[in-house]
Amino acid sequence: MKVAGSETDKLPGPPGTGAGDALGGWLHRQVVGSPNWMILPLLVFLAVFFFMPAIKLMLFSVMTQDPQGRIGTPLTLAHYVRFFQVPLYTDVLWTTIRISIITSVIAAILAYPVAIVLVRGNIMVTRIVTLIIIAPLAVSVVVRAYGWQLILGNGPTGLLNYVLLHLGLISEPLALLFSPVAVVVGSLHIFFPMMVLPLASALGKIDPNLEQAGRTLGAPAWKVFLRITLPLSMPGLVAGVTLVFSLSAGAYVIPALIGGPSSQMLGNMVEQQIIAVYDWPFGATIATILVLIVLAINALSMRLMGGRRIRENQK
Amino acid sequence: MSGKLTGTSAVMLYLITAGMMAFVLCPIVLIVIISFSDGYFVSFPPTGFTTSWYVSVFQNAEFTGALLFSFVLAVGTTLLSLLLGVPAAFAIVRGNFPGRALCKGLLLSPLIFPVLITGLALLQLFSSYGWSTVKLNLLIAHTVVTSPYVIRTVLTSLELVNPALEEAARTLGATRWQTFRRVIFPQIAPGIASGAIFCFMVSFDNYPVSMWLADSANTPVPVVLYRQIGTVFDPSVATMSSIIIGLSAVVVLALDRMVGLRRAMAM
Repeated sequence: MKVAGSETDKLPGPPGTGAGDALGGWLHRQVVGSPNWMILPLLVFLAVFFFMPAIKLMLFSVMTQDPQGRIGTPLTLAHYVRFFQVPLYTDVLWTTIRISIITSVIAAILAYPVAIVLVRGNIMVTRIVTLIIIAPLAVSVVVRAYGWQLILGNGPTGLLNYVLLHLGLISEPLALLFSPVAVVVGSLHIFFPMMVLPLASALGKIDPNLEQAGRTLGAPAWKVFLRITLPLSMPGLVAGVTLVFSLSAGAYVIPALIGGPSSQMLGNMVEQQIIAVYDWPFGATIATILVLIVLAINALSMRLMGGRRIRENQK
Repeated sequence: MSGKLTGTSAVMLYLITAGMMAFVLCPIVLIVIISFSDGYFVSFPPTGFTTSWYVSVFQNAEFTGALLFSFVLAVGTTLLSLLLGVPAAFAIVRGNFPGRALCKGLLLSPLIFPVLITGLALLQLFSSYGWSTVKLNLLIAHTVVTSPYVIRTVLTSLELVNPALEEAARTLGATRWQTFRRVIFPQIAPGIASGAIFCFMVSFDNYPVSMWLADSANTPVPVVLYRQIGTVFDPSVATMSSIIIGLSAVVVLALDRMVGLRRAMAM
């Protein structure tokens, strides 16, 4: 890597120029001389270890694998046709989309009260809530999924079943674990902070006087929320929903540990195809479909937010 | 008074928040309770109190080895991410090349890409070139996933630094390095610290990348734990989890002390 700064240090300016000019040029290069090159190490690193491998993997989805496991021509769309023709695969696709949508919607509804308290509550409360929201982020998903196994355990010794049995609400232990509901609950737990944080940051930017004015003018609390808080917090809501949807759609650990065969998601199917079946092109096809879903939702959200910013600038 | 919560809607908000806090804490607290359980199978309520699982877990070489491996991997990942990320963030804010917005998007893009697929793409890359140094592969893969966190936190703090201060330092004869060390660094230190802690956390906790690349000699702790969950049904799994929870708590407290949680999360 050529270091522009150190090079100019050693070159006192072209020969033959006056001392003043040389000093001026040197000063100019030192002060204004740009740190442009410093982006290169990371950019090259990511090009080699992220962009190129990711693109290559996606190209596998239109290639064929011969009996020796070599992947190459002829190019084909047969894997995509197979994916969309076999109900087993499309079921997993719909399960993934359904679980991700339900998780994001529930997270959004529950995150509003928490985010409002974070922004407007008293100091002690916001400090505790911040800690409780952020701290679990540092705990591995594997650990938290295990916690949900213990809570939702299907026998009478699962926490929830134990409590319900002792309250007399049920007479037989419920089959809670290994269901789509368990996956939604687990995903909600893992991704809830990703909804609360952008929402709180958007709510923090709203001038409290606006809500105050709404209330003074006689609007009930729900109307103040619908007409003032909700529209003004839209950037946070869109950011949160995008994050939660993308992360739940790409989940692997939660459906693997607390989802049963009926709630496997695209990520689990990718792993199966690669590790168990050793079908790289088909695994790559499922991976590509997952990536396209996530990129689409992110592009949509950027469009929504971009359009909004432009409209605001025009005002 | 304005902006504070009052009245019945405030009570509702506090109640829902309290409920969500209970929801968030429940699995974590339960794991810690079970880790002291005296039974041979995980069950609720715990049958008695014992600390013997902690003794046996710390004698379990597979677990302690994995803990050490994950720690070293996370430190290496953090250092490499900072080494690559801090200058890159600097170039985006202070550079003048065209396409800086695009570059910023590219550097942040591993954040929105499904991490599981990042790991798979790297498995493909490493196996096609026959790179069998698992430690190095894991270091590279984790750095791909964590470097955007450095970019994000350092960008945020760099954008707040006044360029006039740097120019003043340079005009007064400070070298590039002196300017960085004495003028810029103190101002972006909180950003670098939170970026570093995020890197450490994300690497230490990562499963979906490590699961593709780890082998039996190089196993990060989440991979060991995942395997245990499927095969061991005594409270030792809860004990291992509790130890990880304890370590995570230390990291969060460090973040709170060094930067402040709200600032680190850009709230």
